[in-house]
Amino acid sequence: MDSSTVQKILKEIESVAPQREGQHVGKVVAVGDGVVSIDGLTKAVMSEVLHFEEGRGKKLEDSMESEGQLLGLVLNLEEDGVRAAILGDTERVKEGMTVKSTGKVLEVPSGEELLGRVVSALGEPIDGKGPFKNPTMMPVEREAKGVIERKSVTVPLQTGIKAIDALISIGRGQRELFIGDRGTGKTTVAIDAILNQKNEPKATRPVCIYVAIGQKESKTARITQQLREAGALEYSIIVDAPASAPAALQYLAPFTGVAIGEYFMDQGKDVLIVYDDLSKQAVAYREISLLLRRPPGREAYPGDIFYLHSRLLERAARLSEEAGGGSITALPIIETQEGDVSGYIPTNVISITDGQMFLITDLFNKGIRPAIDVGISVSRVGSAAQTKAMKGVAGGIKLELAQFRELEAFMQFASDLDKETADRIESGRRMVEVLKQKNGEPISLEKQVAAIYAANTKLFRDVPVNQVTVVEKAFVEFLDANFAQMLAGIKKSGQLSDDAKKELGKAMEDFRAAHSEYFALAK
Amino acid sequence: MEHAYAQALWKAVEGTPGRAGMKPAAAVKAIVEVLTREGRGALLPRIARSLARLAEREHARNDMVLTVAREKDERSAKSAAKKNLAALGIDEGDLKTQIDDSLIGGWRLEGKGVLIDHSHKSALLGIYQRATNA
Repeated sequence: MDSSTVQKILKEIESVAPQREGQHVGKVVAVGDGVVSIDGLTKAVMSEVLHFEEGRGKKLEDSMESEGQLLGLVLNLEEDGVRAAILGDTERVKEGMTVKSTGKVLEVPSGEELLGRVVSALGEPIDGKGPFKNPTMMPVEREAKGVIERKSVTVPLQTGIKAIDALISIGRGQRELFIGDRGTGKTTVAIDAILNQKNEPKATRPVCIYVAIGQKESKTARITQQLREAGALEYSIIVDAPASAPAALQYLAPFTGVAIGEYFMDQGKDVLIVYDDLSKQAVAYREISLLLRRPPGREAYPGDIFYLHSRLLERAARLSEEAGGGSITALPIIETQEGDVSGYIPTNVISITDGQMFLITDLFNKGIRPAIDVGISVSRVGSAAQTKAMKGVAGGIKLELAQFRELEAFMQFASDLDKETADRIESGRRMVEVLKQKNGEPISLEKQVAAIYAANTKLFRDVPVNQVTVVEKAFVEFLDANFAQMLAGIKKSGQLSDDAKKELGKAMEDFRAAHSEYFALAK
Repeated sequence: MEHAYAQALWKAVEGTPGRAGMKPAAAVKAIVEVLTREGRGALLPRIARSLARLAEREHARNDMVLTVAREKDERSAKSAAKKNLAALGIDEGDLKTQIDDSLIGGWRLEGKGVLIDHSHKSALLGIYQRATNA
């Protein structure tokens, strides 16, 4: 039974069941920094939503003017009362205020009508397009799917980025970490992955959720605009907990994102969710924990910081056919300081995820973009989540790049090297160029396969290194114009058949003949 | 620290099931002796303030307050709340009454960690919230 049906049944029961007389209440005894101490509420449960009664003693019209309900979230159960995080403006809470127990854990709206919308960490629309009409409420905290309901990750999720799809492929239901210093292009790579879903057929196109945690509002606005202009917002949802939001909302935002995603997964759909970034969520959680007077541990993070991320990322899954066949692919982002991946939070998240993509400042500065270090980046799902066509062409470059990295140090002695070594270095340099890609320009699978096949068969051998990117782009455009049927065949079958290889060979010959000016070194 | 001493003082006077509490003077004397011995005599005024706060909280927890919009509504409110008071095990005589004209009408019973709100104001606010959220 899907979650929307369950929600309908619960609503029906609620309307039929007799109303309980009286609500459990407590009194605010202390408030500060987004955390409130409440006396009473002896029957409160963890993660329960509380309702602050602001209207006491106020006239009806004044109560109506308050900006929506002020909610709290129970985070500590103590001997005399509870401590809760305020999910809103702290200044609205006063000492002595009555706090009502709701008996419910936090829920956020989800459903088709959220597509194309920007919502807060509480799921409230913040894009000025009005409230949701008939959303399905999803619990923010929900246990991850069990082993029986899952199946192996085998279906690829195309990111449109050659370096990723060829070497560190991501599967639907996988958790792949993007890790690197600030300004290395982590968000760009994740956004490109969302943009590329436009190339997917509508039936299999994943719903994309971008969760901005502690980001500048300007950055989120720019990303929203970028998605809108590319026509990607129609299948995307943005959850925004900006840097100016209370720590409690920054802590909640990723859970809100995954709760929204679970609705679609329960419907049998695929979901791609980007958490940008979990290091900021960890900092927000540390702030709340310290204010709640929980004992600090390493780097002052609380003892359950690992559980915070593991319970979030475990909710990414690929469900079995019996469970609906949907999936959630999670792309968490972690920001490192000075390239230190041995920090507490980076190592935690590395150990939770199914692979990591390291983005390196040096590569970025050298102009290699995306600045992914393919040598140390891994995907534990590997080729199990690659199409046969990509698997066929990618094997060659892995070996070639590995050999190139070994020999790279000798590049400066190029004149003293034997021919074989020099050839390998030259070939490696060209392969690195082929894997370069501009941001916001994801490439479809069949074009990636064709470009890498061409690189493997040394089409670019006679092209000056600094021209490889230009020639590769021209070659792909040439294929698009003259061999569209062959590309469509690769896309449809997901395989690079012998016939397709023959045609690609012919295409390369034709391209060389038509654009001899590119192949300067051959002259 | 003073909170812990205030709680100890409270428990010493209140006693525990099966054990009678100390007389206030004896309890204070005992705690002063402990404080002096440990060189913490300066804590005494703070302990007194903490004890007063503790008493306030205890009263707030145990008091049952019936709030009505007008004085003349008191009798009808008490009669309407009779069943609820019985369910909570509270004698009508222990009930305190308050007037709050912002309730518009109806009544509101609060205490012992429970709130029963039958005021017109909360009903109207509920309608307003449902209408504006729809």
